[in-house]
Amino acid sequence: MPTVGAEYVIGSYVAYLAASVCLTIWVARTLHRNGRVFLVDAFGGNEALADSVNHLLVVGFYLINIGYVALALKNGNKPWDMATAIEVFSTKIGWVLLVLGAMHFFNLYVFSRMRRRGLLQYAPPPVAPVGRV
Amino acid sequence: MRGLVVLYDARCGFCVRCRQWLEAEPKFLPLEFLAAGSSASRARFPTLPAPEEAPEELVVVDDEGGLYYGAEAWIICLYALRDYREWSVRLARPALRPLARVAFEWLSRNRKSLSRRLGLAPEEELVTMLKPMSPSLCDLDAKRSLSDVLGGFFR
Repeated sequence: MPTVGAEYVIGSYVAYLAASVCLTIWVARTLHRNGRVFLVDAFGGNEALADSVNHLLVVGFYLINIGYVALALKNGNKPWDMATAIEVFSTKIGWVLLVLGAMHFFNLYVFSRMRRRGLLQYAPPPVAPVGRV
Repeated sequence: MRGLVVLYDARCGFCVRCRQWLEAEPKFLPLEFLAAGSSASRARFPTLPAPEEAPEELVVVDDEGGLYYGAEAWIICLYALRDYREWSVRLARPALRPLARVAFEWLSRNRKSLSRRLGLAPEEELVTMLKPMSPSLCDLDAKRSLSDVLGGFFR
């Protein structure tokens, strides 16, 4: 068992936290900016409601992602030199990216579902009449 | 399409229960209910073939005079409901329509036995059941004073 280098551990933690929080903010802002159009369409042009739902979704997104990042901080091996520090950092960031990606696609699914439900109001009848009175 | 008239079998408890459910759901289109074969429905739609005995399937007429029978009538009813329009679109797709048809035909065919099994009596039966219980059984004055007391209590 190699001796654990405290400076590498601290360094990789700090880098991990900084990088994952920045990534989370970037994805959340992208979602916030581009999801708005979907929601305005879904809520029949009601911009105030769309903005409110958009904001609430982004808050949920931040909570879940930053929560995951915080919980995953101590997972995995402790680095003892520069190479292992990079490995540990890369593995953890990889997991954060995968979780962010999954959450992002889940959010897209929620947006498109809301939009579909909103558009249903204008959907034509799904069946044709078989006769006339 | 701006509204639907639903001609249902008022002699079947299950159908009456379905009508109550449809009435309670939030809607995109207003629904009007008529007992199939009743004088009201005959006066409204004189060209519809009058069912002599129990009507065999659900009939829906839209405000433009379009007629829907059986499974299609069920689907168009779901289409009128805010929370079930998605399901109506889904059930009307070629993949699910045969299944929906089988399910709704089964429901229509077995509605009498279903009503019996679920203990759902139609309105007419309830009326004949309640008729013999005349109000003279309880003291009307006592009832009135009780309602006054309760009214005062909740006011």
